[in-house]
Amino acid sequence: MPPAAIWMDGLIQSCIYMTMAFGMVLVFSILGILNWAHGQFYMFGGIVVYYAVAAAGIPFPISLLISAVAVGVLGMLVEKLIIERVNVPIYGPLYVGVATISLIFFFEGAASMLFGMQDKGLSMVYPGVLDLGVFSVSYQKIGVVIFTVIVMVAMYIVLNLTKIGLAIRAVSQEPVAANLYGISVKRISVIVMGIGCAMAAMAGSIMAPIYPVNPFMGRIPMIMSLLAIVIGGIGSLTGAIVGGLILGFLNSVIAYKISYFSEVVLFILVILILLVRPQGLFGASLK
Amino acid sequence: MMIKYIDWKVTIPRIVAAVPIAILVFIPVFSTSRDTLSIIILSGVWVIAAMGFAMILRTGQFSMGQAAFMAIGGYASAILTVKMGWSFWPSFFMAGVISGIIALIIGSVVLRVGNIYFSIITLSFGEIVRILAQNLEGITHGARGLIPPSPEPIVLGSFEINFDASVVPYYYFMILLVAITSLVFWQINRSRLGGTFFSLAANQILAEHQGIYLMKYRVIAFTVAGIFTGFAGAFYAHFLEIITPYMLGLWESIQIMIMSIVGGVSSLVAGPLVGAVLLKVLSVYLSRLPVYGIHALLFGGAVVLVLVFLPKGTGLIDLWKKFWRKVFNEPEWYEIPSIDE
Amino acid sequence: MKKWNTMITVLASLVVISGMFCMAHAQGTAAPDTPVIVKVGFPGPLSGPASPWGQIGIDAYNSWVELFNKQGGFKVNGKTHHFEIILVDDKNTPEGGAEAAKKLIYEDKVKFIAGHWSWNFPSISKVANRAKVIFLTRTGNEAVPGGIYDPKTMPYTVFACPSHEQYINDVFALVEAFPKYKKIGIYDSTQGKGIGWDYVHQELDKAGIRWHHEWYPVGTVAFAPYITRFAEEGCDILYGGGDITAAMLMTRQRWEMGYKNWKVGTAGGILDPNIIIEVAGNQAAQGFIGQYYTIWNFKKNKVNPKYVKMCQDVMQIVSKKQGEPFTYTGWIGWGPNHLLILAQAMEKAGTIDDPDKIMEAIRGGTFDTTIGKFTMSGEKTYGSPVVFGSPGALSRIQGKKEVLFTEHPMKPLP
Repeated sequence: MPPAAIWMDGLIQSCIYMTMAFGMVLVFSILGILNWAHGQFYMFGGIVVYYAVAAAGIPFPISLLISAVAVGVLGMLVEKLIIERVNVPIYGPLYVGVATISLIFFFEGAASMLFGMQDKGLSMVYPGVLDLGVFSVSYQKIGVVIFTVIVMVAMYIVLNLTKIGLAIRAVSQEPVAANLYGISVKRISVIVMGIGCAMAAMAGSIMAPIYPVNPFMGRIPMIMSLLAIVIGGIGSLTGAIVGGLILGFLNSVIAYKISYFSEVVLFILVILILLVRPQGLFGASLK
Repeated sequence: MMIKYIDWKVTIPRIVAAVPIAILVFIPVFSTSRDTLSIIILSGVWVIAAMGFAMILRTGQFSMGQAAFMAIGGYASAILTVKMGWSFWPSFFMAGVISGIIALIIGSVVLRVGNIYFSIITLSFGEIVRILAQNLEGITHGARGLIPPSPEPIVLGSFEINFDASVVPYYYFMILLVAITSLVFWQINRSRLGGTFFSLAANQILAEHQGIYLMKYRVIAFTVAGIFTGFAGAFYAHFLEIITPYMLGLWESIQIMIMSIVGGVSSLVAGPLVGAVLLKVLSVYLSRLPVYGIHALLFGGAVVLVLVFLPKGTGLIDLWKKFWRKVFNEPEWYEIPSIDE
Repeated sequence: MKKWNTMITVLASLVVISGMFCMAHAQGTAAPDTPVIVKVGFPGPLSGPASPWGQIGIDAYNSWVELFNKQGGFKVNGKTHHFEIILVDDKNTPEGGAEAAKKLIYEDKVKFIAGHWSWNFPSISKVANRAKVIFLTRTGNEAVPGGIYDPKTMPYTVFACPSHEQYINDVFALVEAFPKYKKIGIYDSTQGKGIGWDYVHQELDKAGIRWHHEWYPVGTVAFAPYITRFAEEGCDILYGGGDITAAMLMTRQRWEMGYKNWKVGTAGGILDPNIIIEVAGNQAAQGFIGQYYTIWNFKKNKVNPKYVKMCQDVMQIVSKKQGEPFTYTGWIGWGPNHLLILAQAMEKAGTIDDPDKIMEAIRGGTFDTTIGKFTMSGEKTYGSPVVFGSPGALSRIQGKKEVLFTEHPMKPLP
């Protein structure tokens, strides 16, 4: 049985992957595409919050919201200017895939020019460690867990109890019928892309005090959240949450048990899951 | 034999297209600059890999692990030459064979699941290859890589082709390799097999109901692509004289994908060729700009712009066809249906 | 027609004028009092995730070379020669390294390359040796028995300041500073795996030092599993292979996990104490250990006072240029050091064009450099013709500053 510190570490990992994967799945369920540049929105979230706190001196919770809004707007622009134009019927997902992958290069290049390539950190936000005898945990990590729960609850409320949430669910189930009932699929797509990118940005900004901020920080969380939604089932929101949890804990526990070979185990696991049950744990089969 | 009829609408574009190819073949006559030739040689490597990607895409699957087959080819050849003491030519040949066999095995297991699942499986496969190459130090030397030797000189009477002295032999070797690959792919595309591939992508269910066994054709495409990608990888390793796990990872697979999509997948040979050469040359010249980070920015931006402003679902090569249709005043014969009703 | 005539006239006159300029210029360089420029290529990681290492030294190298030239450069056959360094991005990949080397050799026509980054050593070495270009490199990981380095095929490769020897010296310095240590935890990414580390392990075993090694995948940010493994092994000093991001996160996460009395450091050196404090937190970063080259503070190693003065001046010039105090000293260890070896070898050989003669002068020669005086050995261990060690000097963070912490004197060569 691994010690408590490993489980705590796994929980933090799960929180990032969950938030990232949730945004990705949301975008996937409406637009039918994977946004490969999701990790770069995560990176922008971290950068915006770094400048808001370190340079402008804005309190951290407000900076979180600022970065979510700023990156959400950026996501909407990307949807409107690029994805909407590239998303064609036959090879649509492929073309959007290539466009968003190219955006990875674009965003990383832009960030390294504007931001510099050195690591930056926000360790001064809520410093301190809570000592519980058996193990200790920093206040920042507690903050991450609380924040993730808040975001998830907020998303539940938005999706289930509001009009826009109803529209989103309708479009994800039957786009044509939803269109006939007067829901603008295009507008919903833009909104959903905004929400998805804002979630990535929030994951990035809540991580800024814990992990270093640099232009390349988005790559690994992106791959990991991709694996998370594959485990949970592409297109399933519950799957994204469960997949994120599983992956986060697995990552820590396997690394603790067998050290550096943990990467291989994760990838082999994903291949096995896809071969045995391509729709993942919770997903419906893809059209 | 008499030529009865020449279709100028076909012949003129071909003649015009032949001009740059002829120039490419004769470049070493004008310049033996290592720098210029290296760029063309390296783009040739990516041309072959991009063609392989396009071939798999023909069957409707997009592989995100093509660089892994390059790595397998490169490592196979490097291990055979460095560790087993083989000479270059047999190990180069074996590199393609080994890569093809692995593609066959992986393909027949993995191709059962299609679509995005296949992409993610190949992505994971590529990562596994990279991690194994990095951690099996006994065989692969870990992250420090292997240094495969350059090919042995070929002696033709009194004339000797020495690969160490200049890059010109590599240049013609590359042109030969690209030519053979193009020929094979072109023939496959023209044959019944190519038509079957296309039918799989166009309408999988209909194709299945016509009695086409999906798996068989997918695996064929994947294996053929694997063989040639393996050759490209072996060439790459021997030309650079180094192979390490980080040279051919996820980002290189992505690069292959970008190249063939930007070039245009409507044509199996010309599209990847145009895309790979243009993007590789662009990328080399961009990386010489003195501002750090601007390389990635402009490269990504250029690709996005191409995708946004080209007619939907086409690549650069379709501009060529469009141009000639304009010239000969032909009607547009095919329209890709628009997303809006 | 008239238009064409004017154009041809203008073009012809342009050609004539530019030709005259060229001739004037050529005559200018031929004048006896102007120094001859010797170009040296510096491939380094200037873009991508490893770029901080490449970029942090640029200003310092340029200022040092400027100062070196201003103080008279070096004299070959009584004639003054100046250095010019050409920085090229090698993208921290072997492919980029080969391209960078080819660009330097065939476009910029350099006769010498100095570089430090391990991943590119094999590809650059191969290109440089084929073109008979002398390649001075800091890495030595590949030079140990069974490594990639082959003295027969790479006669123009010179190792100076090999990183694994440096690591061993650092560990000796640590053990001297903390004689009551329990176990030293070595951490490095899987990218660093290889023969170099096997050599380090051997040497540490020989010296009777207790150690435990953990590898982590490249790009890891959550180190709790590895820290727990170190704790279970009973380590209390963590000293890394040079990955500064990993070192900062180790420092921070062991603090959060309650191992507050552990000492943490990295062989990469402290690029900038402020970054470490920013990322790891002020309390956790206190006592963070890194490699240090403040030669003006050295007590056990002797450095020529002339070079000490020069390096101190460079530190001030760069501070002024960047507008904030420049504290990174790792650059002293290799760039100037390599250039001094080259300059002295050329002086001794009396030529700047003949690589064989210069290599002869380097083999077995004694060189006075920025990190001390070295006698190069032709027969030192692991088949390498030219290898020399480096001082194990460490610094640590105190408050917001980096201060000298401990030293291990350089071992004289066998």
